[in-house]
Amino acid sequence: MARMKSILTEAKQIERAVTLINLGARLQVLESETDMSYERLLRLYKEVSGRSPSKGQLPFSCDWFMTWQPNIHASLFLNIHEYLNKVAEMDEIDTIIKAYQLYQEQTTAQGLEAMLSVTRAWRLVKFVDNGMLTMTKCSRCGGHFVSHPHEIAKYYVCGLCSPPARAGKGRAAGAIKMDAGTSGPSDGLSIH
Amino acid sequence: MNADQILTEIREANLSYLMLAQSLIRSDMEQALFRLGVSEESAAMIGLLTPAQMMKIASGNTLLCKMRIDDDLVWGLLTNHGRGAANDTTSRLHASILMAGRHQEAA
Repeated sequence: MARMKSILTEAKQIERAVTLINLGARLQVLESETDMSYERLLRLYKEVSGRSPSKGQLPFSCDWFMTWQPNIHASLFLNIHEYLNKVAEMDEIDTIIKAYQLYQEQTTAQGLEAMLSVTRAWRLVKFVDNGMLTMTKCSRCGGHFVSHPHEIAKYYVCGLCSPPARAGKGRAAGAIKMDAGTSGPSDGLSIH
Repeated sequence: MNADQILTEIREANLSYLMLAQSLIRSDMEQALFRLGVSEESAAMIGLLTPAQMMKIASGNTLLCKMRIDDDLVWGLLTNHGRGAANDTTSRLHASILMAGRHQEAA
């Protein structure tokens, strides 16, 4: 028996899907967040982006979010996401879209490459919902950073207060740099 | 700056603030809440203001918007105080993370 479909709901879903495609989302994200069929999504994808969607599995590992630069990007996104979650009531996917747009704006404004893709951002929120990742407060700066669950909060120090030895020394454009070699905002230890 | 000038400047600043806030709220309510750091109720009110109301609210001897940075840590990161020539972008990114994590001001 055919399902009764509201045209308004459908229009909203298409709009959402178009926004996600423009942000660079993978097809799997669209499949999971809309009720549209795979064939229609595929057509929409080609129409909006002018190319076929990338194939293959989604990045599925939690570990990516734990490496230095990605962790900082992910933390910025997740802080914005949490903010929107607290102040406004929206569907989960809309919160992700809006938070991602704000994250993208913020990084572009600071001359950084938006390292976190919207697909990764969406995965991140799912990981947090499932309790596979969480946010822990840095004991030095008080900021909240993406971390494994059950991190001992008392001793947790974030990657910006205490960057690993080799962090931020790369020359890639748009990467986070620690050139001057100071570590935290509150201590003057230099890292060589 | 004499008293008259102060009042004029404050009115100008208030008016630009209200106009900007209103257009942000009207184009995207949720993102505006993040950008402005105001509560949903205040945002709804600002969104509904008429130009005449705005003019009235803007004239006064106090500013309508408030400084959102209220601690040394974030100030230090933004101004790079005490860090020598530390990388500016990274400090600003750090400050952004800290400020985005503060929702109690709005909620």
